[in-house]
Amino acid sequence: MNAPLATSGRGFKQQFELSIGCVPLRLQMSDAPLFDAASARYAAFTNIAEQPINIALNNVTPPESATADFGYEFEGAVLRAFSSAIRFDGVKNQYALDSLLRIFLSWKLLEHQGFLLHAATVIRDGRAYIFTGRSGAGKSTVATLSPQGSVLTDEISLLRREKGVWRAYGTPFWGEFKAAGSNSSAPVAGIFRLLQAPENRVVPLRPIAILRTLLPNVLFFSAEQESTRQLLEILSRAATEINGYNLSFRKNATFWEVLPA
Amino acid sequence: MSTPASVTWQKNPALAWREIDDETVIISPNDSVMHELNDTGSFLWKNIDGKKSAVELAELLAENYEVTPDIALSDTQALLHEMSSRKLVVTVPATGGVSP
Repeated sequence: MNAPLATSGRGFKQQFELSIGCVPLRLQMSDAPLFDAASARYAAFTNIAEQPINIALNNVTPPESATADFGYEFEGAVLRAFSSAIRFDGVKNQYALDSLLRIFLSWKLLEHQGFLLHAATVIRDGRAYIFTGRSGAGKSTVATLSPQGSVLTDEISLLRREKGVWRAYGTPFWGEFKAAGSNSSAPVAGIFRLLQAPENRVVPLRPIAILRTLLPNVLFFSAEQESTRQLLEILSRAATEINGYNLSFRKNATFWEVLPA
Repeated sequence: MSTPASVTWQKNPALAWREIDDETVIISPNDSVMHELNDTGSFLWKNIDGKKSAVELAELLAENYEVTPDIALSDTQALLHEMSSRKLVVTVPATGGVSP
């Protein structure tokens, strides 16, 4: 595992390397409080195996004049992805950095057959169970009811297709759990759409219904046609290859009894 | 439906779409709205190519779905009207350009 690095290269005082869903990133910055916050926040996600993508935070050098491949503005913080450089500007705090990282990953994962999903992921018998739904659907409840150490994330899951197998990764983007994220992965057992109900029940879904479940819960910020087309292709593939279910569940741990093995 | 029968139709080029489970899912990148077309709608969608009019599309529908030409034309026009109102399809003017 790499430790956070302190360098004076390229005009930045500090840099921090992290890997989320096997996407290696290097955050370069001069803001000491932000560096400390990022180091603490992403401490569990520092095992980088490949050459990272450099992301320059609040660079004083003007951006290149070329049109960005992807751009997004979030509450004054601006992400611009050029072919030769990635820039996050106007990042005033850890919250803004976290938001731009999610937005950047949602775009970068397209080339890795992956996507970010509003979902809790729990590992059981070496396989990842993905529980999705909007706020209030029960993601954090499911995480709370699961054994300690088995929760990869209670808020935002990362799914990638690798060598023909869908795997789920933990992310540092946590919700109510507010615990350290788990930087590990497991093959996906199934996607479960959470519905709170008086009794536990699972109903298998057709691929079109799985796609219908995924689409509103995917984190995606590009309004560009080609990116949207790629995302739809990836989600359709996931909906066809991953088993999906409606999971009606009571707010206790007995729901595990009805899940398919 | 006020569109003349001779007018040809094409898919809105700004959209992303994909077939799954014999249905077609269409996404508008600008607003991320998802549209779904059933079996008949998907059949029409596949055949909307910028060259065919409602009449020609209806002929294909009648051949493939065992409906009378009148019903096929009525269904086709209704579907085109619905898809047009959702900006999924646009008409192709005689000049070859695309009307908004």
